[in-house]
Amino acid sequence: MSAAAERHYDDAASPEAAATGTQAAAVPGPGADPGARPDSALTERVLARETTSSRASAAVIAAVLVIGLCVYALLETAVRAVGQPPWLIDPQTAAEKAIALPAGVSPLLLGVSGAVLCAAGLFFFLNAVLPGRRARHVLADPRAAVVVDDEVIASALARRARLAANVTQEQVMVVVSRRQVIVNVRPTSGVPLRATDVQAAVEAELRDMALSPLPEVRVNLASSGVIGA
Amino acid sequence: MNGTPRVLNRILIGILGAKLLVIGALLILLATVPAVGRWWQAWSAGIWGAARGLFDRTRFPGGTESWLWIVMVLLLLLVIGVMVAWLAQQGKGRANLLVAEDDAGDVAGNVRIGGGVAEQALRAALADRPDLAGATVATYEFAGEPALRIRVQPRQGVAPHILAAEVSALVEALDAVIGKRTPVLIHIGSGARSRFGRAERVR
Repeated sequence: MSAAAERHYDDAASPEAAATGTQAAAVPGPGADPGARPDSALTERVLARETTSSRASAAVIAAVLVIGLCVYALLETAVRAVGQPPWLIDPQTAAEKAIALPAGVSPLLLGVSGAVLCAAGLFFFLNAVLPGRRARHVLADPRAAVVVDDEVIASALARRARLAANVTQEQVMVVVSRRQVIVNVRPTSGVPLRATDVQAAVEAELRDMALSPLPEVRVNLASSGVIGA
Repeated sequence: MNGTPRVLNRILIGILGAKLLVIGALLILLATVPAVGRWWQAWSAGIWGAARGLFDRTRFPGGTESWLWIVMVLLLLLVIGVMVAWLAQQGKGRANLLVAEDDAGDVAGNVRIGGGVAEQALRAALADRPDLAGATVATYEFAGEPALRIRVQPRQGVAPHILAAEVSALVEALDAVIGKRTPVLIHIGSGARSRFGRAERVR
């Protein structure tokens, strides 16, 4: 605790930080040793969870689906158990129809409903099996676990590339994926532009960000320019 | 950061997906291959015969209906209950307290600091920054201890590492106030407000 407070005195970044530092020094610290970084394993776990999908939406859809089916089956079963006439179909009749299956239903309807079920099953199955990475990168920070959406990285790199190429905002498009950054620049007609300059600027910005995993940069200059930009 | 049971989600979704795939494939095969139809009729008729025998043997004494229907109702209720419990697990894990410890002093009692302290302090500190379109702070319980989740939405073109360093400095100031290092997650994200809002030009 006290180490954190002292570090603030050293930086003295803001007056409020210094003020809080004096307050904290007066309070006896309820046991914590910040120097040892005891939470690095915890940070790893937080980052692992934040860069993959929780599959909560698929889980909610699946649960609602199962609940709906069960409620309907419950209704028919309960009606049957107390000896009342069925609502839509009696369980026994349903079973007999299922046994006779290729007969009684048009093959087209059967095939299409099978395909729909297959598609739904594939959606859930792939959701469960695939790694489910989110479009995010981890940013190194001494104090906190930091994750950045790829969109934010892309817009920061686009700004940097725009300044390096001296073009307007609309002439730069940046796509960030897990291992690659693609910078598309449309130069202004008549103004020479070197791809290496843009590449160096974007790479410098990426190095400052210290992302993990570090993507590599590719710059594409459009062959036709923009007039009057 | 939240307590969504991820492994459970994957297992249950995988089971449901595999079942749907098998049923769908069976329906497609029934519609297209006649031999599968013959096999299905023989196989399912056998199972249905066994089930009917079971229902006949489990009639209420003197009645016409089987008590297995009541067992099925209970089973279905159980499945619905389990599904509702599973739904309730999604996205849980919000906590109220940031610190709850014995202060080891002369005075008896505990020290408790609510999560609202950190949430409001950080939100106020981030509120009037021109490079942010929005910021939210929430307290979660992660691995048995309270943790802070700071979600900031920068405007277009803001360098994320500089923003992260500044937010992290705020967090260290907060550490000094609270007297305890809370695990912190900073999520620099983009939303509708940062996407369609004006870009920050001067800084």
